Amino acid sequence: MTAAATDRATSSPTSRPAPTTKGPTVLRVVASEWSKLVSLRSTAWTAAVTVGLTWVTAYLSANASSGDPGFEPLSSLSQGLVLSQLSMLVLGVLAGTGDFRAGGFRTTFTAVPRRLPVLMAKVLVTTLVGGVVAVVSLAALVLGVLPAARSRDIPLDLTAQWTPQVLLGSGLLLLGMALLGLAVGSLVRRTVLAVTVALALVFVLPVGFVLAADLASPPQVGVSTETVVTELDPVSTVMELMPSNAAYRMTTTPDSAGPDGAPDLGPVGGGLVFAAWILLPLVAAGIRLRTRDLT
Amino acid sequence: MTFARVVAAEGTRLASVRSTGWTALATVAAAASVALGLGLFVQTGDGTSGTALVVSGAVVAQLGALVLGVLVGTADYTWGTATTTYTAVPRRLPVLAAQALVVVAAALVTAMLALAASILVTAAQRDTAGLPLALAEASSWRPLAGFAVYIVCVALLGLGAGSLLRHPAAALVSGIGLLLVLDSALAANPGRICDTVRSLLPGVGTRLLQDDAQVAATEAANLGPTLGVGGAALVLLGWVVVVLLAAAVRLRHSDVTMAARQ
Repeated sequence: MTAAATDRATSSPTSRPAPTTKGPTVLRVVASEWSKLVSLRSTAWTAAVTVGLTWVTAYLSANASSGDPGFEPLSSLSQGLVLSQLSMLVLGVLAGTGDFRAGGFRTTFTAVPRRLPVLMAKVLVTTLVGGVVAVVSLAALVLGVLPAARSRDIPLDLTAQWTPQVLLGSGLLLLGMALLGLAVGSLVRRTVLAVTVALALVFVLPVGFVLAADLASPPQVGVSTETVVTELDPVSTVMELMPSNAAYRMTTTPDSAGPDGAPDLGPVGGGLVFAAWILLPLVAAGIRLRTRDLT
Repeated sequence: MTFARVVAAEGTRLASVRSTGWTALATVAAAASVALGLGLFVQTGDGTSGTALVVSGAVVAQLGALVLGVLVGTADYTWGTATTTYTAVPRRLPVLAAQALVVVAAALVTAMLALAASILVTAAQRDTAGLPLALAEASSWRPLAGFAVYIVCVALLGLGAGSLLRHPAAALVSGIGLLLVLDSALAANPGRICDTVRSLLPGVGTRLLQDDAQVAATEAANLGPTLGVGGAALVLLGWVVVVLLAAAVRLRHSDVTMAARQ
């Protein structure tokens, strides 16, 4: 730099002193991951689709059951998330594979050689963005059942009975799906494979197991109605422990019984199983990041 | 640039990419393991037939077929070779037609292998449970042929979605959403409107996998229009045609150089 330029730099009244901490501090890593996630076009798309789908499915399912005499608008809250958890999952997967898609990971991990702070910052940032999308989706959920409730003149009391817990569970389901997608995406790193694995885990496998349950159930002829199924059926147990079913259990009330032949996890238990499903690929992704070559 | 050469080029591209082989292998393994798993739980006198057990892997195998189609459809855009391809073939549509031919061939081979693997893997269980395959009867052939047709159609749907949307994740999600998620979401709310919508979705193709007794049971539970196997095949083929036409229209009339990689 020439002497004139140096003079200009130090004598300008608006020049700031050089920062004292060097390198990738936690705040800087989080800030960079935030700008990366928010600038992805897919994040905005999947967030919009989640909110839109939640409203549409809540509206349709509330309208479909509004003809029943015992219509409870708040009981159709849990129906609204069936499709939108798909788009939250994809939001997470694309956030997790974002760095590896266009080769940006080389720059990222050159700047942050310890590597794990990047993964933790991704989790934090995805939680923030996923949390915002989940809250907006919950609003869309309630707004979706509102017209049907109004048409039957049923007042909506969101603080009544178990509704706050159901709403909390629904929000946690959406957030958890995004984090599960992030974990799978960070572990697998290739977009098509990660989306396939995530969708297979959450949607395709349970359908396959439902087929198994249908084929495996013994014929109902001659079974007395007083017999209660108390033994654990292996197929139903595995089904209940799958991520989608465990997450769904979070949105149910504690007094509702689970499916026959499966352990009754309750909402908290379901949440814990779901959290374990999220932590497993996340820890594996961290181990892969830390102990393996990146390219 | 004759059509035969375009087909040869697409065939070379498909065969030389490693992911094709892995996808086909995963599809065959998934179908066989689902059949094996279900075979472990099947009991005598259940009313299931041997063919129902063999084709039960279709629900999971369709994912692999969809991925196969999406990979072929988005290959040009993810690898950035769209400019080269369409400089060589300026009329553009022959490339899509060649991709469709190649996808049909690959999906057919995968479906045959998956069926063979399922038959082999469940042979012992079918013998002990007394579920004959009865290949001599025509009614047993229909679900097996339906399995192959369904897998091929799902792969073509994936090709159309991939070519139309040009982004693998979007194409995969649309395919899964259309085939599986929408269907199960509507199935949870039985009613005339929901069942009618369900009858118009490509997921009706699963009727191709069912034998006569199961089709009758499905139609009895269905409050929408009665489709039967022929109607279901028409709906599925209609979806394939519509999606491929949409992809053709987009290919013909839009720019291929600026497919974003986000």
